[in-house]
Amino acid sequence: MEHMGNEASQGLHLRGQFTRRQIVGASIAIPAVGVFLAACGDDKADDKADDKADTKTTGVSGDSKGGTLRLATTKPAGPLDPIAMDDLGSYNVIAQTFEYLAGAEGDDIGPSLATEWTANADSSEWTFKLREGVKWHDGTDFTADDVVATLERIASAGDGLGGSLPTEDDPDAPPPEGDASPAQRLAAGTVTATDGLTVVIKLGASNASLPYLLCIYNPQSAITPKAFAAGSTLDGSPNGTGPWKLDSYDPTTGAKFVRHDAWWGGKTPLDGIDMQFFADLGSQVTAMSGGAVDAIQQFSVVGGDALLSDTNFNTVEVQSATHRQIWFGFDEGQFTDQKVREAFALSIDRQELIDTLFSGRATIANDHVIFDLYAFHDEGAVTQRERDTTKAKQLLADAGFPDGLKATLNAVDVQEIPQLAELLQSQAKEGGFDLTLNIESLDTFYGTQWCVSYPCAGSAELGIVDYGHRPTPDVYLLKAFKSGGDWNSSQYSSAELDAAITEYQASAELDKRKAAAGKIEKIMWTDIPAAIPYRYNNLGGFSKTFTGVQFTALGHTLLGKAAKA
Amino acid sequence: MLRYISRRVLLSLVTLWLLATIVFLITNVIPTDPARAILGNTAPEASVIRFRTQFGLTDPLIRQYGRLLKGLVTFDFGLSWGTKREVWSLIEQPLFRSAKLAALAMAITTPLSIFAGLIAAKFRDRRLDRGIVLVGLATSSIPEFVTGALLAVVFGVNLHWFKPVATIPPGTPPLEQLQYLILPATAMTIAYFGYIARMMRAGTIRALDSDYVRTAAMKGMSSSQVMTRHVLRNAIAPTITVMSVQVGYLFGGIVGVELVYNYPGISQVVLNAAKKKDLPVLQVAVLIVALIYMVATLLADIIIAWLNPRARLELGQS
Repeated sequence: MEHMGNEASQGLHLRGQFTRRQIVGASIAIPAVGVFLAACGDDKADDKADDKADTKTTGVSGDSKGGTLRLATTKPAGPLDPIAMDDLGSYNVIAQTFEYLAGAEGDDIGPSLATEWTANADSSEWTFKLREGVKWHDGTDFTADDVVATLERIASAGDGLGGSLPTEDDPDAPPPEGDASPAQRLAAGTVTATDGLTVVIKLGASNASLPYLLCIYNPQSAITPKAFAAGSTLDGSPNGTGPWKLDSYDPTTGAKFVRHDAWWGGKTPLDGIDMQFFADLGSQVTAMSGGAVDAIQQFSVVGGDALLSDTNFNTVEVQSATHRQIWFGFDEGQFTDQKVREAFALSIDRQELIDTLFSGRATIANDHVIFDLYAFHDEGAVTQRERDTTKAKQLLADAGFPDGLKATLNAVDVQEIPQLAELLQSQAKEGGFDLTLNIESLDTFYGTQWCVSYPCAGSAELGIVDYGHRPTPDVYLLKAFKSGGDWNSSQYSSAELDAAITEYQASAELDKRKAAAGKIEKIMWTDIPAAIPYRYNNLGGFSKTFTGVQFTALGHTLLGKAAKA
Repeated sequence: MLRYISRRVLLSLVTLWLLATIVFLITNVIPTDPARAILGNTAPEASVIRFRTQFGLTDPLIRQYGRLLKGLVTFDFGLSWGTKREVWSLIEQPLFRSAKLAALAMAITTPLSIFAGLIAAKFRDRRLDRGIVLVGLATSSIPEFVTGALLAVVFGVNLHWFKPVATIPPGTPPLEQLQYLILPATAMTIAYFGYIARMMRAGTIRALDSDYVRTAAMKGMSSSQVMTRHVLRNAIAPTITVMSVQVGYLFGGIVGVELVYNYPGISQVVLNAAKKKDLPVLQVAVLIVALIYMVATLLADIIIAWLNPRARLELGQS
């Protein structure tokens, strides 16, 4: 029934030829693109097949064995405020208790608190039908009023789903001391509850991607109760609709969850979750290898290779759009000339990066964010940029740097990025670039090199920044590349690209969206506001003593169907 | 003696005030904006402004400094900027955990290193002495997080004798907790054994060479009587001083071990607070670690005075 609802939404909004699956292609994989045992031996293939089947058995029902799963996760970086959080550790805690209008389903998004959604002809007005019989953990009914209140809080916080929700000045909330601009609230009439289980959202402009801004992949859009005050946290007000009720929370050690008996998804096979927080990947891998935990939320090939060869461990690999952007300053510095940027991009040996940093578990990208996993990616728009150091040197000479160019490559110390910076330093040398590395910690980099002030300004002329998975590239486009974008560290501004982004967002049909996406690819590939060498897959995993543990492309661990094997 | 203790306590309070001032100044001259550091670079500006107002970051520095001192005096440390929880609630448990681990590490290290130091001194310049000195030098030159990682892999991951991480589930009985704590405590023992043993050896050799020991031996006292009544009592004073400093270090300076074993102690609290610019937590945690240093050194002086009448006399006169 729910799926019929979604088919209906496709029929109305996507007109039967532009399905949700096509929107994201294979971008999200639950259970996984590949669940495999990275072990040696003759029976490896059989093991792979078995493991894949295990994880696909999302239903694991009727044979509940109870028990608790111990999960190693990254420590939340701040308060568990669903709107203000911005780290994977917090996302994963929140996602156990709170839910979204759309959840993760297979390689796409699917029904969760909303069972279906439809849009008008130009995608400027959306109707979400909510699930019946959903209970909050305190036993009260989930209604459309909760959704309206949540969206009002999101709009008042300032972001408003990437600017999609229209706002107006709020005369009832004077701006805090020192702020010249008035406080904002959701514009009147934007979100209305037409009945107890129907919400209508009227946008300021067309946006065919709205459900993706209200799904689990936009973590800040978690639906919270109407009474949930702005700035509240999960541990302060632990009242969600999800499969797990927060039992205890210590920001330094972990969180414990117990089953929500009235969960709309049915009785969870497990009794509870013991989520243990870790500060670094090394100790997570040690804990997993030593049997101190049963599952690990996320790990990388660099530092997590011990797990890949552990015969008691199921590795779950999920295709994702997670990538790195090597931005070039457009406003000042040595990279304002397109020839210099192209020379840098031509110096990169993308295959070597993938082989070295990911043991091949990544995909070559082509200096734009319409990745191959999106169904509207236009494979014919531009050719794959290949390494050509001779041409790179020639371009540098043409740009006035016949003896090469000296620059500082700034990078954040996250996951494989320091190693990426070292490899780029070595590769770019052959193209005529003499790079000095400046690797900064997570805590200072974003405020000193990436975006010194807000909206983004004062960025270094050359740097590497990390971007997590999104099921559509809207956030990347609007924030990093559109003129004046909040995260536009290149200070890139192109009327042509802005127009193509608007056209892309307004296109509900696949052909039109693909045409707009092709324009975006071409413009980004030509202008090169950032070199984007690869995208890579999310890795998570769990002990073979469990089944049904699911991972999203962004790094959530979903345990509603997890069970002891 | 009482006068000495009172004077030391007063001096400690002045030191704490100076330290609080230095910590406040240092944390406020760092150019990073705490509101941005805590809320993240992607947080809307409205949230950042609200945060600054909520925690008084727009107040003049002198007012913020006054608030800090008032909090310290009244033991009302306020709210953490990062978690919006009471500062003390974030420090209390990590402090207890650090105390537990430090106590276990000291319980292993102290008898082991004192015994090794005594043996080495007794067999001075012989193979046993050289062996103890060499092992001590070698182990103390390896950082404890390297030893810790090695122990975790060998005894935790490969042999499964002990837990490879020290995240103790709530409600675990004390004896079972050893399963979790033994590896980090051993890593710390390996790191500090050599230093303490060498101090003990040096003190013992000095005592053994002294006139009073020679006199005692000439009076016909047995070797063991000389060791326990005269040598140990005099040789242990510098060792106790060294150990008191190590106690402070075991509380606040073992961030490497805590990270390797994912042990949520006070070092991690300090590290995370510094990284996130959660100044209320950072200031209080640093001051508590400093207080532990001071209490440990004061206790060491008292123990030395108790063991040694001459030192007691000197303290009384000072």
